[in-house]
Amino acid sequence: MIHLVALTLYIAAFLLWLRALVGGVRGRAAHVPGPVAAAGVVAHLVALVLYTSRWGELPLVGLAPSLSTLSLLIGVGLVATLWLGEAGRVGILLMPLMILLEGIAAVMGVRPAPADLDFSGAWFALHVTLGLAGVGGMALSAAAGALYLLQHRELKSKRLGRVFRFLPPLATLDRMGRIGAVAGFTMLTLGIMLGWAWTVRFRNTFAGGDPETIWAVFIWAVVLSVLAARVGGGRVERRAALAGVVGFALIALSFVVIRALAGDAGGFFL
Amino acid sequence: MPLAVVGVSHQTAPVEVRERFAFAQEEEAPVLERVRALAGVDEAVLLSTCNRTEFYLYPILDPETLQTVERVLADKASPLPRPASAYLYSHRDEEAVRHLFRVSSGLDSLVMGEAEIQGQVRDAYHRAALTPAEPPLAGPVLNRLFQTALSVGGRVRAETPLGEGAASVASVAVELSRKIFGSLADRRVLVLGAGSTAELVVEALGREGAHDLTVVNRTYERAADLASRLNGRALRLQELSGALREVDIVLTSTAAPHPVLRTPTFREAFPSGPSRPLLVIDIAIPRDVEPALGDEPNVFLYNIDDLRKIVDETLERRREAVATAETIITGTTRDFLAWYASLEVIPVIRAMRERAERLRAAELERVLARLDLDETGREALDDFSRRMLNKLLHLPTVRLREGAAGGRAAELVDALRYLYGLDDVSTAEPAREKAPEPGETGDVGGDAAPGGLPGRGRRSG
Repeated sequence: MIHLVALTLYIAAFLLWLRALVGGVRGRAAHVPGPVAAAGVVAHLVALVLYTSRWGELPLVGLAPSLSTLSLLIGVGLVATLWLGEAGRVGILLMPLMILLEGIAAVMGVRPAPADLDFSGAWFALHVTLGLAGVGGMALSAAAGALYLLQHRELKSKRLGRVFRFLPPLATLDRMGRIGAVAGFTMLTLGIMLGWAWTVRFRNTFAGGDPETIWAVFIWAVVLSVLAARVGGGRVERRAALAGVVGFALIALSFVVIRALAGDAGGFFL
Repeated sequence: MPLAVVGVSHQTAPVEVRERFAFAQEEEAPVLERVRALAGVDEAVLLSTCNRTEFYLYPILDPETLQTVERVLADKASPLPRPASAYLYSHRDEEAVRHLFRVSSGLDSLVMGEAEIQGQVRDAYHRAALTPAEPPLAGPVLNRLFQTALSVGGRVRAETPLGEGAASVASVAVELSRKIFGSLADRRVLVLGAGSTAELVVEALGREGAHDLTVVNRTYERAADLASRLNGRALRLQELSGALREVDIVLTSTAAPHPVLRTPTFREAFPSGPSRPLLVIDIAIPRDVEPALGDEPNVFLYNIDDLRKIVDETLERRREAVATAETIITGTTRDFLAWYASLEVIPVIRAMRERAERLRAAELERVLARLDLDETGREALDDFSRRMLNKLLHLPTVRLREGAAGGRAAELVDALRYLYGLDDVSTAEPAREKAPEPGETGDVGGDAAPGGLPGRGRRSG
């Protein structure tokens, strides 16, 4: 029920941002979507706290709980940007993603998967949370990058219309993209190192063959490439924005492909 | 309603005349007191900006009053090329209300929809309201009028595109800069040439925080002159490519007959193109910047035609919003006049309630004397009688105010006097309500603080 409340608030926030984009940004109405989105994040958090209390475990095992947690972590990142004024408008892209993730979770039913995992406890919780937060950071970076490219195009084409007025400044979007990518990379790296440390310690192996390990290494390499796009000369900011978008698209696509290939044989997340 | 505005604006006088009518801030309080004394009005506010000087006065009971105020203005502006009356205008009653609402909404501004006027109206009102004077310069009526004006100005800007976009070359430059760089606080500006339009743009950028300025000109002395005026540094034209590497915004306005910023200079500064965004604003005719540079990555090049096109589009959008803005103003003017009309019945409402309260208290005392009640019982009976009285009087009070707002004040007041025997009550009783502080609603017509019609003591009942 509370998941539906959160979902409704997310949809409302998205529609309000859309209205601000289409109808122009004016007066106090321009500041309404942010608090609505924040209320949705709070409701979402309450829902997952209740989940933990009810099932005696964090919502990290199984596809539906993991997607719901990922949606929440992206929401937390979005709420953090609300303090930066116009930067919060990145919600116009992040919100549909959050709605999609939370919507799939709600349809599947947010309940623990009947998985019996060796890998559990604090190691596991930290590993998955850091991994999801890393993907969340990349989502923020991708959304900021997409808006950067759009605003860049508006400026180049000298169309100072509603899209131009709605979108945050290029410098703000670049800074958000950089923060998202750096935070995403840091958390993903820590999460992967934690997973490997556990495997080495308790299984005495690198477990290099299972799909999650391959996927983790793949997305780590993708995120590293996104960061690498910021190094060197030329059109650094635009290149970084493009890399953020492509990087996140690759992560999402690879997840869908691996999920399709692994079927029910996947591990705790897949 | 006996409200009037007398003044001069860009609609009636050129700048060299307007500036003669303008009052400095320190002159405002003395001239308002003088006008109040000479014209015999209770309330007065002066709005003096570079585009208008206007006195708002209440109440105007004698047509001669306006001529007195016009003489004060004429004395201030003298000597003038033509009689002062050729420049002055006045509006009365509903038109005066509507005029202030249009002014605060930016509909009467030189650049339609500009936002600065809203702050100027607020400041004028606050200065009058905070001036120590007895009675207050901004009393109950002007207090309500100006607060409503500020509110309607905000509403028009929130509900229509009237305040959107940039409507001058300088403001387009600022808007572009902000949308590229966000805060301009640590941004560096290079001015190529020493034209006066460039100076305006630099000042506008400076107001947004861009203070690091470099001026480059073919004649070094002119560059140094402009740089000293704008707190920047001057460089010679030969140093252009080096300066380009350091800056975020380039503003060009030379009188050169050919492009000054060409590809070779640009390449010298950025062999592989700029790695960060570079905004180039070329306001020179003929153009100072080679058009091909606009195709360079990270270069956002705008020439004077681009800027004018943006300004024209903004003004067109604003013109399209005028009808909606006027509808909002008409509705708010009607509401304000209704509020004002409702004030006329306040003394009668007060008398009616006082009479009823006296009766209630007397009857309660009689009943309590006959009953042997403890304190709780006495309080319960007192509470019951109060509630009963309030419920009985609520609907007549509301209907009276509504009727008065609908123009039936005199008829209803007569009926009430007859029905309740209130012959000694007059709507003419002078009452000087304490003027609310700026920001308070100033609803003098509220039941909680009923009083006579503010400042209308000279009207017959």
